[in-house]
Amino acid sequence: MQALRTAATGMAAQQLNVEVISNNIANMNTVGFKRQSAVFEDLLYQTYEQPGAQSSDQGNVVPTGVQIGAGVKAGSVYRITGQGTLTNTGNAFDLALNGQGYFQVLLPSGETAYTRAGNFSTNAQGQIVTADGYLVQPSITIPANSTNITISQTGQVQATVGGAAAPTVVGQLTLATFFNDAGLDAQGNNLFKESAASGPPTVGNPGQPGFGVVLQGYTEASNVDPVSEITNLIVAQRAYEMNSKVVSTADQMLSTAVTTKS
Amino acid sequence: MDNAIYVGLSRQILLERELDIAANNLANVDTVGFKFETMIDNADPAVTPAPGANAPATTITYVAGAGVARDFTEGSLIQTGAMLDVAIEGRGFFQINTANGPRYTRDGRFRTDPSGRLVTQDGDSVDGGGGDIVLDPKKGRATISPNGVISQQGEVVAHLQVVNFDSLAALSKDGNNNYRNDSNLTPTASTTAQVRQGMLETSNVEPIRQITRLIEINRAYDAISNMMNTTAQLSASAVQRLGAVNPA
Repeated sequence: MQALRTAATGMAAQQLNVEVISNNIANMNTVGFKRQSAVFEDLLYQTYEQPGAQSSDQGNVVPTGVQIGAGVKAGSVYRITGQGTLTNTGNAFDLALNGQGYFQVLLPSGETAYTRAGNFSTNAQGQIVTADGYLVQPSITIPANSTNITISQTGQVQATVGGAAAPTVVGQLTLATFFNDAGLDAQGNNLFKESAASGPPTVGNPGQPGFGVVLQGYTEASNVDPVSEITNLIVAQRAYEMNSKVVSTADQMLSTAVTTKS
Repeated sequence: MDNAIYVGLSRQILLERELDIAANNLANVDTVGFKFETMIDNADPAVTPAPGANAPATTITYVAGAGVARDFTEGSLIQTGAMLDVAIEGRGFFQINTANGPRYTRDGRFRTDPSGRLVTQDGDSVDGGGGDIVLDPKKGRATISPNGVISQQGEVVAHLQVVNFDSLAALSKDGNNNYRNDSNLTPTASTTAQVRQGMLETSNVEPIRQITRLIEINRAYDAISNMMNTTAQLSASAVQRLGAVNPA
């Protein structure tokens, strides 16, 4: 019976849906996290009677045909890259991005990764690093005896060095944008890598057309909306239950068929 | 006598097919733009030859499937907030150009490929009225107006086309949320449908209706099985009684 297999595809799809939703809820408080959504597509259809086929020699046409689908499959799990809310932290090296773009991070392997989690700090050499200690690119070193570090909306880093009257510019942050940032390859630790789907990065200063601005003293919270995630969870669970009802109905019908012979 | 069993069988075969359809509807309860289907049953009368000289010819009515009807009622629209999620309000389809020719869909979860083309989740380009829709990554957010005009930074970039058919019965399902046009009907640009950016159309499957259908199918199948049993018992007892030799 096809119905058994069809219902199984439905249950498998909802299981994937629950996995995606649970990952979103688990990362509700992860800085810079972007929620994901599983999308489903119907499977191939078996055609028993072609729509538009002729049903007689007089040219009568079957109006609808008979096509029966084989269930559902997971099309893709895509990232919804909407802006997260900005949270004030007061920390001078906490940077939030408002608008498009990613900070560039140099991995120990020499590759460049991209992140929106701007909870940075400085290392022993005074370089700006991520929470994992990876260098933020382009590398910016804060002089040892500097105070009053300010990072402007356009990414200019200024510091007052050694009690000087005027602040000096110590570096300029740049951002990378991707045309299809939903296609970035997630690496964990809030990091992403360029992929064939995302396209190459376009690097520019914050505040330029198409680039977001940097806000010092803020971090970007995840864009997970708990209420919609819980609602999705309820929908997924009910859909799973309904598919299991199909399995039990098909099973009962098969058992009826088996026990028909008296 | 045997005909009763065959009439029952014709119904049972159809019930199994109806169960397959209900199963597919329920499996796609969460599929964007999915339209649910129902089986249409037909009476299929067959005239049997007269059993005897004085008895009239009888008509036995079997059950046959006439076709699968698709209900194109709109599913409810949900807000996703994604820039390139588009829902159609009203009748019509997006036209997408696949490797196997044009396909039609109401699934508006679009994205862009590295070259900036507007494509579906499967990577097929969305038709903008005779060509691909190409967005400029440097210009940032695209805005899609209800009549399908796509603009970036206030400049019109492309037009998202919604097409419609005079008869939706000509479309067959192709999987991947797509419809195929096997007829000679040509799609025409829809003037009434509107598109909604940041929204998606949910599946129009009504779970309660499908679950009720499952119960109906199950009980009907049971009832026919009982009828078949009764018929079989009747012929068994007829053979026994007629074959018995009267001892008196």
